Amino acid sequence: MRRWLAPLALGLATAALAYQATLLATPFALMRAAASKAGTGLPINVFRFAPMTTAENQTIVRPSPDLFYSLCVFDVSKGPVLVRTEPIPGHYWSVSIFDARTDVAAVRSDRDTGGRPAMLALVKAGQVAPAGYDAVPVGYDRGVALIRILLADKAEFAAIDAMRRKSFCRAA
Amino acid sequence: MKPWHRLTLATVLGIAAGASLAVYRVRGGLSAGQITNGPWATAKTYGTKDADALTRARVALGGLLALPAKEAMYFTARTDSAGRHLDGKCTYYLNSQQVPARWWSVTAYDASGRLISSPTGRYSVGGILAFPGAQTASVIVGPKPTTLSKPIPLRMFVDTGGAKTFELTLRVYHPAPSILTGPEGAYLPSITRLSC
Repeated sequence: MRRWLAPLALGLATAALAYQATLLATPFALMRAAASKAGTGLPINVFRFAPMTTAENQTIVRPSPDLFYSLCVFDVSKGPVLVRTEPIPGHYWSVSIFDARTDVAAVRSDRDTGGRPAMLALVKAGQVAPAGYDAVPVGYDRGVALIRILLADKAEFAAIDAMRRKSFCRAA
Repeated sequence: MKPWHRLTLATVLGIAAGASLAVYRVRGGLSAGQITNGPWATAKTYGTKDADALTRARVALGGLLALPAKEAMYFTARTDSAGRHLDGKCTYYLNSQQVPARWWSVTAYDASGRLISSPTGRYSVGGILAFPGAQTASVIVGPKPTTLSKPIPLRMFVDTGGAKTFELTLRVYHPAPSILTGPEGAYLPSITRLSC
């Protein structure tokens, strides 16, 4: 029996490490998969203006069917990325920046901007935000910028779709 | 069995056991180990650096791209107020005072977090938007827009499509300080099973 003590201790230590490693890796893996799926066919640092979510076109888990989503997979490895959101008067809207670990680096909504555009510069250490943009430090090169617009009346779809397309996500 | 055989076996079993336990706990869903209020469960650390590794992994699996609580709170229910699992073939009545927030909505999902395909396409009800100016809100969740065989307005109906099981997510955008600081005591919709 004593010859199994060392293997038993090794097994327990390995199990603890594997448990923690799996938990830590899960957000990165799911974020990468979701960004890849939602941004299919698009280059990075460009918004994809998605249609209203239905059971048939759902690309991420647990989406809100009441929100109009626009998603940009960004990459700051070669320089800052600029995100500007067009205000949608009379509607809740927000832009949120998620890093590769799924943590929120920044959120700006119409409440925060007073109805003005949100102007964000996503930067990593050593990069500088251009004038007029709020610097948003991100801990990883890649992540996702996501615009949410509340659309209570589906008849407004076309008008709001035209407005939101003035928003951009692009390399500085 | 040689010593290195025992060590290799222990390592392989340890990795398998640790990873399996992590997957099991992550799949425990957003309701496990969180703040509860009746049938609803939430956490204040969604989307933040304060979230522990388990919460972060659970949110990534069950609600990727969730916002921090100051912007939006997400409550999930897998049971009715009596503790029975939600069944898509049953009809439920949600009754509440207006949730103290800028706007709120109730959405039905299947067990994997997907919207449920249905003839009506009624995935959700937006509380304040569906009942502007009203002090209370009533929502019917079920396979048909009827209660006791009487039709109800679609604006207060969420279609379960007759799914075997489903979950409800209550979104609360720009929550009032009362719900932000005390979600466990906030007045949230009760979920009453009317019929099956």
